[in-house]
Amino acid sequence: MRSSTEPRRDGWADAVRDTAHLVRFRAGTVRRPRATVVGIAVVLLLTAFAALGPASVDAGATGSAAVDRALATLQGNLGSAFVGFLLLAIGSAVGSGGGRELLSRSEAAVHPVSPVTEHLGALLLAPVNLAWMVQLWALLAVTALVTPSDRLLGAQLVVVAWVLLATAAGQAVGWLVEGVRRTPHGVLAVRVVGGAVVATLAGLQVAGVLAPLARALPTTLLTDAARTGRWPLAVLVLLVLAGVVVVLGARPARWALAQPPREELRVQSGVHEARPAPEPRRGSPERALLRRLDRGSVWRSVGMRRGLLVLGIGPGLVALLAGLEWSTVILLPGLTASGAALLFGVNAWCLDGKGMVWRETLPVSAADVFDVRTLVVAECMAAVSGVTVLLALLRNGLPPLTVGVAVACCWAVVMGQVLSAVLTWSVRAPYSVDLSSPRATPAPHAAMAGYAGKLSLVTTVTAMLFTGLSTLPWAWVPAVVAVPFLAWSTRKLRRARRRWLAPAERARIVLTVAAV
Amino acid sequence: MTQPPAVVVRDLHVRFGDVEAVSGVDLSADHGQSTALLGRNGAGKSTTMKVLAGVVPPTAGDVRVAGHDAATDALGVKRVVGYCPDVGGLVPRATPWEHLQLSARLRRMDDWEGRGRDLLERFELGDVAHRVVGGFSHGMSRRLSVVLAALHEPSVLLLDEPFDGVDPLGVEATLEVVADARARGACVLLSTHLRDLALEACGSAIVLRGGNRVAAMQAAELTGEAYRALLD
Repeated sequence: MRSSTEPRRDGWADAVRDTAHLVRFRAGTVRRPRATVVGIAVVLLLTAFAALGPASVDAGATGSAAVDRALATLQGNLGSAFVGFLLLAIGSAVGSGGGRELLSRSEAAVHPVSPVTEHLGALLLAPVNLAWMVQLWALLAVTALVTPSDRLLGAQLVVVAWVLLATAAGQAVGWLVEGVRRTPHGVLAVRVVGGAVVATLAGLQVAGVLAPLARALPTTLLTDAARTGRWPLAVLVLLVLAGVVVVLGARPARWALAQPPREELRVQSGVHEARPAPEPRRGSPERALLRRLDRGSVWRSVGMRRGLLVLGIGPGLVALLAGLEWSTVILLPGLTASGAALLFGVNAWCLDGKGMVWRETLPVSAADVFDVRTLVVAECMAAVSGVTVLLALLRNGLPPLTVGVAVACCWAVVMGQVLSAVLTWSVRAPYSVDLSSPRATPAPHAAMAGYAGKLSLVTTVTAMLFTGLSTLPWAWVPAVVAVPFLAWSTRKLRRARRRWLAPAERARIVLTVAAV
Repeated sequence: MTQPPAVVVRDLHVRFGDVEAVSGVDLSADHGQSTALLGRNGAGKSTTMKVLAGVVPPTAGDVRVAGHDAATDALGVKRVVGYCPDVGGLVPRATPWEHLQLSARLRRMDDWEGRGRDLLERFELGDVAHRVVGGFSHGMSRRLSVVLAALHEPSVLLLDEPFDGVDPLGVEATLEVVADARARGACVLLSTHLRDLALEACGSAIVLRGGNRVAAMQAAELTGEAYRALLD
């Protein structure tokens, strides 16, 4: 028990100081500081471009009725997009078990890291998330497009203040849900409530009242105020609210972190009865056994399983309920596949953890090991992006031939791009990580931010190209354009494989991942 | 006819970037014998073991394990070796039984289940055979690593710190595994910091210091004082 004379160690001043220590420690362990600085600069540049670039386009001057309609729709839905960002922040924090951690659980176990420090660390790391960054850029870009240039600064400051508030609120809700999840029967309760929320949203959408309801929320008033002289008041109110929510968020954080992580403990002590060795119709039984082991390593991880389900169902539901058109749907497979790859694929060997040394002593060819791991990463990516496409198909029906070919080719191309990129990174820069906690990431945060930025940029630009191709009258064009992309990805993947097959390189990877 | 040594290492060098982890180790170990590999932290014991297990390729030198060249035939080495690594060594989200199943199938063992069960019982892991190893204690993980190394009755058994954090019953079971391996003619190399257990398990000892071999002797000759003198 703490002595009455002992200073309290979980106060805000201590927590802020400890968070600063942890950030400095993390920054000191960055392997490639110059690349990190370049990465941060690129992200800031992209953010500035999203905030200012669209304002230079005078879309209204085109005189086109379709463009005017599109602008009016964007303007009318900006308030709903604000709500969408809040939902995303909540989803991210809930999905990652309360948000990312500055120090992994095993590293932090020996240090007096308070729940408030954990809370502040999770808040700082919230932007290190592909979906968070893409949504921020989208909000800034749409705001820039629909706001008169003399009001742009105020409107963008309102966006930034909203993003801060939504992130803080998402974090607080994330801790609350994690706290509930850690109570007896909490996992069931969270699943039931989560299902009910999704069902309610689906019901509202089917009844045709979701969009009007979203537009009637106060966020629409906020976006209107952002384009008027009242923006300073809006920014002030949002920032004060954000501060209050940050402070309030520490309460559920304390509650959640004081309880045992039941779901993880259940998985860690999970019993999996013996199954006979697989006897596949095609391929060798050894490869089938390796595949089973790798798949088990993915699906028996709380974080990866939760992440794959969220990525598979979330964007698909949006496509299904919001009735996204194929020109928008075409963007989603690349983003969801990237999200799946960011769960573990960017450091694919970390699935084995310290067991990698033992696996390397098994008499199996290194080529088989690489091929099976590649297949399992590809399966996860294909599964989550496939669900999105399937749900979009259910909503929109079969697309016209050219659009269909463009969607299929784009999907194959972005899969190839992401797969070859993440396997290259896995071989070039492996890390030793412990993925037992759903808050853990497969690589350090700076590296994760770089990976997320690169994947989102490449897949979005590629999808935009194929969106353009889908408007052409020739269905064969997207297929022809896909060929060089696929050839390049294949070349890159083969190069990563060759590097893995070199014994000295493989030894370096094994020893790094196993941290021995 | 005299059998050639099971393990022959000549002038082994292992370099990781600028660091030379092993610099010129020579050793040989015979079938039916157990040899202790001793030395301080960083002496090169674990790296030498990893080379013998086919995990790390030698930077220079000649390494032969049961007739297989570790530099050119790592797969051949892996088939004849059973290796308990010094740290971890287990896939966190797989069960002991799945580890055994994979190891046995990749070595084309047909009737392995009886031996697998027997080893798990001997190491008191029978009741957790189907639990994922992520929740295991350090000692349980070490015991399972020894089981995995011994499952296929390898002709060369490499045990790196097998007693680390293991309870007395686990130590006893490990000593039995070493004795069994020696009795069937396998070569056992055992790396440890615990001189007394090394003497109990092994007939001869090799002491490494700074990546070099500094002594090779009968285990009985390795008194506490002699060992201390070799470490400094």
